[in-house]
Amino acid sequence: MGRVTERWQAMRDHPIFRLELRRIRRQRWWPGRRFFMFYPALLGAALGYGVVLALSDSPGVLVTALATGVPAVCLLSVGTWLLAFALPWIAPALTAASIVRERELGTLDLLRATLLTERSIVLGKLGGCLAQLWPGILTLALLTPFQLVWVGGSGLSPYLSVLQTDPISVGEWPWVWMVAAGVAGWLGPWASLALHAAVGLFVSALARSSGAAIALSYAAIIVLRVSLRLATSLIGVALALAPAVATGFSEAMPGQAMMGSSLTSLGTVLVEFAGAALLVWGAIWQLKRA
Amino acid sequence: MMAQKLHKATIIETRGLTKRYGPLAAVEELDLTVEEGAVFGFVGPNGAGKTTTMRILATVLRPTAGEAWVAGHSVLGERREVRRAVGYMPDFFGVYGDMKVWEYLDFFAACYEIPAETRRQLVDDLLELVELAHRRDDYVDALSRGMKQRLCLARSLVHDPQVLILDEPASGLDPRARIEIRELLRELQAMGKTIFVSSHILSEIEEVCTHIGIIEAGRLVAVGTLEEMRRLIQTQRVVCIGLMGRQVEEAQAWLASRPDVVGVEPVVDNGEGDLHATFSGDDDALVRLLSEMVGAGFPVVMFREETGDLEDVFMRLTKGTVS
Repeated sequence: MGRVTERWQAMRDHPIFRLELRRIRRQRWWPGRRFFMFYPALLGAALGYGVVLALSDSPGVLVTALATGVPAVCLLSVGTWLLAFALPWIAPALTAASIVRERELGTLDLLRATLLTERSIVLGKLGGCLAQLWPGILTLALLTPFQLVWVGGSGLSPYLSVLQTDPISVGEWPWVWMVAAGVAGWLGPWASLALHAAVGLFVSALARSSGAAIALSYAAIIVLRVSLRLATSLIGVALALAPAVATGFSEAMPGQAMMGSSLTSLGTVLVEFAGAALLVWGAIWQLKRA
Repeated sequence: MMAQKLHKATIIETRGLTKRYGPLAAVEELDLTVEEGAVFGFVGPNGAGKTTTMRILATVLRPTAGEAWVAGHSVLGERREVRRAVGYMPDFFGVYGDMKVWEYLDFFAACYEIPAETRRQLVDDLLELVELAHRRDDYVDALSRGMKQRLCLARSLVHDPQVLILDEPASGLDPRARIEIRELLRELQAMGKTIFVSSHILSEIEEVCTHIGIIEAGRLVAVGTLEEMRRLIQTQRVVCIGLMGRQVEEAQAWLASRPDVVGVEPVVDNGEGDLHATFSGDDDALVRLLSEMVGAGFPVVMFREETGDLEDVFMRLTKGTVS
C-alpha cells in the first residue's frame, strides 16, 4: 500500500505531468475537467431514481421519481454515447500540441539537458493530457456496462435479440462470444482514446509546429480509422461466410456471423491498444534519436 | 574510470568530435581540452560550429563521430552523470512565459530531482545571486531581455553544476545587461565553476576569459591562454607605413627583403598609409627598421603600429568562409 501511495505521489509531483496539466488548463477553448463531472451527477440521479422506485409503494413518490429519473436515464444514455464518441476525438488535440510546444518555446533542449529521461518526458506529457480527461474516462468505465445492458447501444444488443428469438442458433459457445463482445464494447472507447492520444503524441514528437501537428494527427487518425474499419469488415465477413461456404450454404448459421463480429470488435480493441503502445514507444524513440 | 585516464585538471575534453548534417560538417575533428576552473571563451563567426559543439557537450545532440567527456564522464555513454555536472544555457531564452519567476526555477529544480523541501530556499538563493529577488512573483514574460538572460543563467545553476556551458550569453543585450552578465560570470568563476562560454564577438568575453579557442568552419584554428593569444598578436605586429610620393613598390621590395618582416602588402581601399608590414621583432627592432628605412631614402610620413587586440587575431585567423 505504501508503495502505491509513493508511486501516486511521484506521479503527481512529476514536473512534466504538472506542466502539462497547467498548459491544458490555460487553453482558452478547454472547458476544464469539471465539465465531465456532469456525468457522475447524472449517474447519481439515475441511481437515486432506481432506489426510490424500488423502495417506494406510494404512487406520488413514484411519479416524482419517474419524472426526474426517466429524463436522467435518457440523458445518461445519450451522454455516454456522446462521451464514448467525443473523448477519443478530444484527446489528440491535447497530445498533439504537447511535445511540439516545447520545441516551439525552445524548452525541449532544456528539458533534455536535465535529469529527466526521454521516457519520463513523453509519459509525463501523456499522463498530463489523460489526467485532464479523467472524469470522462472514469465515467465511461462506470457507465458503459449500464449502457450495454440498458439501451443495448453497442456490443451486446445483437446477442440479446438473437437470444430472445432463437437461442440455439447463436452457436456452440454463445456466452463466450457474448462476453467477448461485451468486453470489446466496454473497452472500445478506451482503446480508441489510447490510440488517438498516442497518434497525437507521436506526431508531436516529430512536428515543428503545433498547428501542423494537430492537423497531421487528425488526418492520420482518420486514415487509421478507415483502414481499421475496412480490415475488420473484411475479416468479419470472411469469418461469417467461411463456415457457410464450407457447408455449401446448406445451413443458415447466424451464430457464426455473431462470432465473426465479436471476434473482430475484440480484435480491433487489441490492435488499438497495441498500436497505442507502439506509438508511445515511437515518440520516446524520436526524442532519444535527436 | 575515465577520470583516471584523463589529466587531473581536465574537465572538458573532445577527441575527433565530428557532427555532419548530410554533406555539411558542422563540427569536424574537433580536439579540445578545457582545464578545471577555467573560463574558456569559444569564439567564432556565426555558423562556425560553436552551438553544435555545446549541444553535444550538453548531451542534447549526438555526435556523428568522435568522443567527448565532461567531468570524466562520456557524453555518449554516461549522459546522466554528464547532465548532473553540466549547467547548459542555449542561445535562446527557452522560457515558459506563463510561469512566475520562482515557479520557473522551481520547475527546473524538480527536473533535476531536487526535493521539494529544499527547492524554496534554493530558488530564493539563486534569485538573490542573479539579482532578481524583487521580481520573484512576476511572470517571466514581464521581464526584460537582460533579466530573462539572468533568469536563464540561474536556471542553469539549479543543480549546482561543476561546468557551465553558456551559448552566446551576451548576445542581443544592451551594454549594461552585458556588463551584468560579465560580472556574474566572474562571480561564478570565483565560486569555482568551470565556464565554457561562446560568442561571435571576441571583445564581448575577452575580459572574463582565461582561455580562448577560435573556431571556424567546424575546426579549431587557434587555442591557448589569454596570454598566449596576446603574444600571438605581439609576435605578429602590423605596422602601417605612409610614404610621401609614390615609391610604394620600391619600399615594398625593400621591406620584403628584410628578415624581420614576415609579410608586406599594399593597402587597399581607403586604409591608412600605403603599406601594411607584418613585423616579428621587438620594439628595438622596430626603431631600427624605421631609422634604416629613412636612411635608405624612403620619404616616410607615417610609421605607426596597429594597436592589435584579439579582434585582429580573430579576423586574421578566420577567413570568413562561413559568415
